[in-house]
Amino acid sequence: MGKKRKHSETQTAEPRKKDEGAPERPKRTLMGWKDKDEVNQQTESSPDSPQVFRNKEKVMVTCSRRINYRYRHLMLNMVSLLPHCKKDNKVESRSSKGATLNELIELRGCSSALFFECRKHQDLYMWMARCPNGPSVKFLVNAVHTMEELKLTGNHLKGSRPLLTFSSNFEKDAHWKLLKEMIIQIFGTPKEHRKSKPYHDHVFVFSIVDDHIWFRNYQKSVPHNESDKMVRGLDKMTLVEVGPRFCLNPIKIFAGSFGGPTLYENPFYVSPNQIRALEKRKKAGKYAKKVKAKTRRKMHEQSNPLEPDEFADMWRE
Amino acid sequence: MGMADGSKDRIFAEGEKERTKREATDFHAMGLRSKDLSFLQSEKAVEDNVDDVMGDYSEEEDSESESESDQEDVKLAEPSKTAVYNREGLVEKLEDIGWPENVDWMHKLSLDIDQEKEVDVNDDLARELAFYTQALEGTRAAFDKFQSMGLPFLRPPDYYAEMVKTDAHMQKVKGKLLAQKRQIEESEERRKAREAKRIAKEVQAEKLKERAKQKKQEIEEVKKWRKQRQQSGFKDGKDSMPDLGFEDGKTFQRSSKKRPGVSPGDRSGGKAKQGGGKSNNKNKKNREFRNSKFGFGGRKGMKKQNTAETTNDVLAFNKSNAAGNKKRKR
Repeated sequence: MGKKRKHSETQTAEPRKKDEGAPERPKRTLMGWKDKDEVNQQTESSPDSPQVFRNKEKVMVTCSRRINYRYRHLMLNMVSLLPHCKKDNKVESRSSKGATLNELIELRGCSSALFFECRKHQDLYMWMARCPNGPSVKFLVNAVHTMEELKLTGNHLKGSRPLLTFSSNFEKDAHWKLLKEMIIQIFGTPKEHRKSKPYHDHVFVFSIVDDHIWFRNYQKSVPHNESDKMVRGLDKMTLVEVGPRFCLNPIKIFAGSFGGPTLYENPFYVSPNQIRALEKRKKAGKYAKKVKAKTRRKMHEQSNPLEPDEFADMWRE
Repeated sequence: MGMADGSKDRIFAEGEKERTKREATDFHAMGLRSKDLSFLQSEKAVEDNVDDVMGDYSEEEDSESESESDQEDVKLAEPSKTAVYNREGLVEKLEDIGWPENVDWMHKLSLDIDQEKEVDVNDDLARELAFYTQALEGTRAAFDKFQSMGLPFLRPPDYYAEMVKTDAHMQKVKGKLLAQKRQIEESEERRKAREAKRIAKEVQAEKLKERAKQKKQEIEEVKKWRKQRQQSGFKDGKDSMPDLGFEDGKTFQRSSKKRPGVSPGDRSGGKAKQGGGKSNNKNKKNREFRNSKFGFGGRKGMKKQNTAETTNDVLAFNKSNAAGNKKRKR
């Protein structure tokens, strides 16, 4: 975010040619468009709100090669949900992933990225990163339901600004707070974005249950046969799920973008490979276990012989 | 070991202070196995760190992390000891990327909803309900805010713009919903029909019983009357004859309802309708002919049969015709 401050450096160098014809364009700084007079008056204005804050967030959404159909649809759903995103081609590299991705983000002029990485055609990892030197998070994605599922019946305007709701757990710890801030910046559509639409007709739900972040997207629907005014009775509002749905398991938080020192590591995280290996191992010893159990039973029977049964000969002719 | 226990208690106390139990730092000592001596050494180091302000450290011990639960998304029963938690770094980064303090709420549009009780992850309904209520509360709160700011909130019904799901998709959704509804209705109807049939059967049984009873009663009455007449010596004439209702001679006539006669070649069993009176006679004849030829599976083909005439028709075979049976190999 600090990289685009070059203009302020060249500010003093520019001569003031006011009679050049068309009035000069106001300076473009991070904090909004400013006329030159305003720039001079910067120091004079009150320190509370001198500059207009403009959210210039741009998210780059990419995926790795060999991605599953389901996860590709999830990625496309994300692209349609975030009007301030730019979809890029598939990223091939595996070894120098961080460097390549950082370069790509710079190239496209984005400030954050969502990278969907699919391993072994089965597991989806999602990276959320802030480009220049910001933190990045790696998540394991579970329980994916895309918008195309017919059971998710809601619909909303494409590009309308979402309402982000967070459960109160997000304030409980530093890493959740950091994640919350990143989510707000990435998933929140900037105000007055070119592709954004008015009205807020959908809600995002981010909630922490069992140390996972669950995501839901609901459409607000109000019965239309009420009064024609904009303000309708909110008691009858129902929420219809639009989708997609997924569940994020944070794995690691890095200080740099796609790399750097680890700030947080989830102590409860087990990689899906390990889970699969464990299952296989459980199944592997089945025969050996059976044989052992048999011998054990035999020993047990030998050591504790049964009493002779009184009624054993009862039915014998 | 005494030392270890003591330290564990202390760390436990520390853990209670923090609201969440799941912090790696506090459990570093708890997860330790008492067998390994080397752990005891580093335990001291952990204590010191834990007592101080949480610095930036990471445990270098390599420990086995076991997963003991058997859910789909397995979680470690004990937290891994190599987990890093750099709280200062996290806070620093948060300040780095955070937006300035005086940013309007309109930019963020974020709401914090209080989650009262712990939701069981495995109980789908409860979990979804929790999410739903969170969204609903959030919307209500936001609505109040928007109202106070005087900004439009909900979409008016006549605002048409591109939606996130295409119209074709929504048609499919609608189709599926309708199909579901229809299924439910049909099953309801079937159930009702079954019930009605059962009731109807009962009613019918009752009716039959009634009829039988009636018949018996009538016969009894006739007998009684006859006996009465006998006793009183056949002198009454026909005055006191009971009106029995079967003397108009109608019982010996058959009902005049005609059942159509069924011809042997008629495959429909006499149920085929002969058409309305409006149809043209010629058309009808044509239709009849075609019906008999093609309708209901067509005429029973009695085309090839070994009858007396055909058996004697050996001379009908044409010997000189070489292309008789194409299938026969030459």
